[in-house]
Amino acid sequence: MTTQTITTPSATGPTGQQPRRSRRPSPRRLKSVAGSVLLGVVLLAAWQFVPGWTGTPSYVVPPLSDVLAALTDPTALPRYLSNAGTTLTEVLVGLGIGVVIGLVGGIALAQFRTVYDVVFPYIVAIESIPKVAVAPLFIIWFGFDLPSKIVVVVLLAFFPVLVNTIHGIREVDRDQIELFEANGASPGQIRMKLLLPAALPSIFSGLELAVANSMIGAIVAEFVGAQHGLGVLILQAQGGMQTAAVFALLIILSALGIVLNTIVRMARRKVVFWA
Amino acid sequence: MSAVQPLISIEHLEKVYPTSSGDIHALSDVNLSIADGEFVAIVGPSGCGKTTLLKILAGLESHTGGTATIAGAPIAKPRGDVGMVFQKPVLLPWRTIGQNVLLPLELHRKVGRAEKAAAQNLLDMVGLGDFVSKYPKELSGGMQQRAAICRALVHDPAVLLMDEPFGALDAMTRDALNVEVNRIWRETAKTAVLITHSIPEAVFLAQRVIVMSPRPGRIVDVIDVPFGPTRTLDLLGSPEFADLNARIRSYFEVTA
Repeated sequence: MTTQTITTPSATGPTGQQPRRSRRPSPRRLKSVAGSVLLGVVLLAAWQFVPGWTGTPSYVVPPLSDVLAALTDPTALPRYLSNAGTTLTEVLVGLGIGVVIGLVGGIALAQFRTVYDVVFPYIVAIESIPKVAVAPLFIIWFGFDLPSKIVVVVLLAFFPVLVNTIHGIREVDRDQIELFEANGASPGQIRMKLLLPAALPSIFSGLELAVANSMIGAIVAEFVGAQHGLGVLILQAQGGMQTAAVFALLIILSALGIVLNTIVRMARRKVVFWA
Repeated sequence: MSAVQPLISIEHLEKVYPTSSGDIHALSDVNLSIADGEFVAIVGPSGCGKTTLLKILAGLESHTGGTATIAGAPIAKPRGDVGMVFQKPVLLPWRTIGQNVLLPLELHRKVGRAEKAAAQNLLDMVGLGDFVSKYPKELSGGMQQRAAICRALVHDPAVLLMDEPFGALDAMTRDALNVEVNRIWRETAKTAVLITHSIPEAVFLAQRVIVMSPRPGRIVDVIDVPFGPTRTLDLLGSPEFADLNARIRSYFEVTA
């Protein structure tokens, strides 16, 4: 019965042209989506009932209903959302700056061999320092407010973009460069009309990593010292043994991460349509 | 040759690549004159420097001795009046066929209605008129190479350089494209230089076939092809065609 409902859509579309085919999910895809949803339902049900059955105290693992109650608590929700706004600001501003640095630096390092040889070892050295360890220093330098968090996010976000930009430009087909040279293209034209577009698939891979890194950076920086943000709320809830609130905040955090990641992946499909 | 000033003139051309394991002598004392509107094919075994010679003509590589001029001017860098077709189509996947064809123009001036019409005309000429707004991956290998030929012609260059343009295609597509290149050459009256390792292809297309030796690349013979400008596939079966092929092939049997 399930198979019947799944196969009908593609069978009724004999005029299946290319744009329609991509929009209409294949039976295999429908099956895997159904499987994912089912698994989710099972896991959520387990979360709701297993703590009760095993007598696990709610300050260790609160049942799903407690977490949802904490999440939708009308007195807490505005506070959650405004602090989520703070964290999101840190992530977006830091990510933006980091991506620009990574892109510009990547193009420069990929195109000028000497610059690469001179500078790259230091970038790797900086990259190898655990950012959590440096965060306290940024509090001293930039204070407890937004700037110190943004600096940590920038440090975590720029590296994957930089490395992937360099890689993408280095991998550009030699023949394509020769095509541009044979037609008398200027270095600027080669950069903008060839190297950058050709590197876009790789740059987007870097961007996806940068988004994940930015979330980590913002929360870590807030743990180290902050007055606002989801990281601060998580620490406060932990201090008050409000485990359900901790879970509620984690849900908000992962929702943010999923939304950002989805935006990047949708942008990738739109921008890098040929790859 | 006639008393007319040649369009391309190569005299005592030398090319030596320095490498860590010693110098590689790629071209040695190459002398060649190509008249305006002539179709010349250069054949030779791999590593005979024929691609190097073409890249020197395209201004992509320097030479280490002698002179190479187009229309009397020494070639120092890529010139605007040369069109190049590569071994692969080298179409940019993020551009439509039309945008790919327009690239050489776009690098030097604003692309307007006249330029787009020129690109459309060329695509019509090779039977790709309906594919202007398609992307390269939607085209077969032969169609992609046709589009690449249009790109090489879009800025109306004086010289068309082709570096083994059909080596990657199957035999039938290759024959069809050879007929097409012959037609394009007649219709546009370009000076054409074709690099190939296919002797029949060279004889089929060219008015003169230049035979090169293995490294260091030298010109061993220049063979005039006695067939008229219009070439059809019937030619491939004629005894004269076979004789000429055999004569050129004999050079490589001796050296192999």
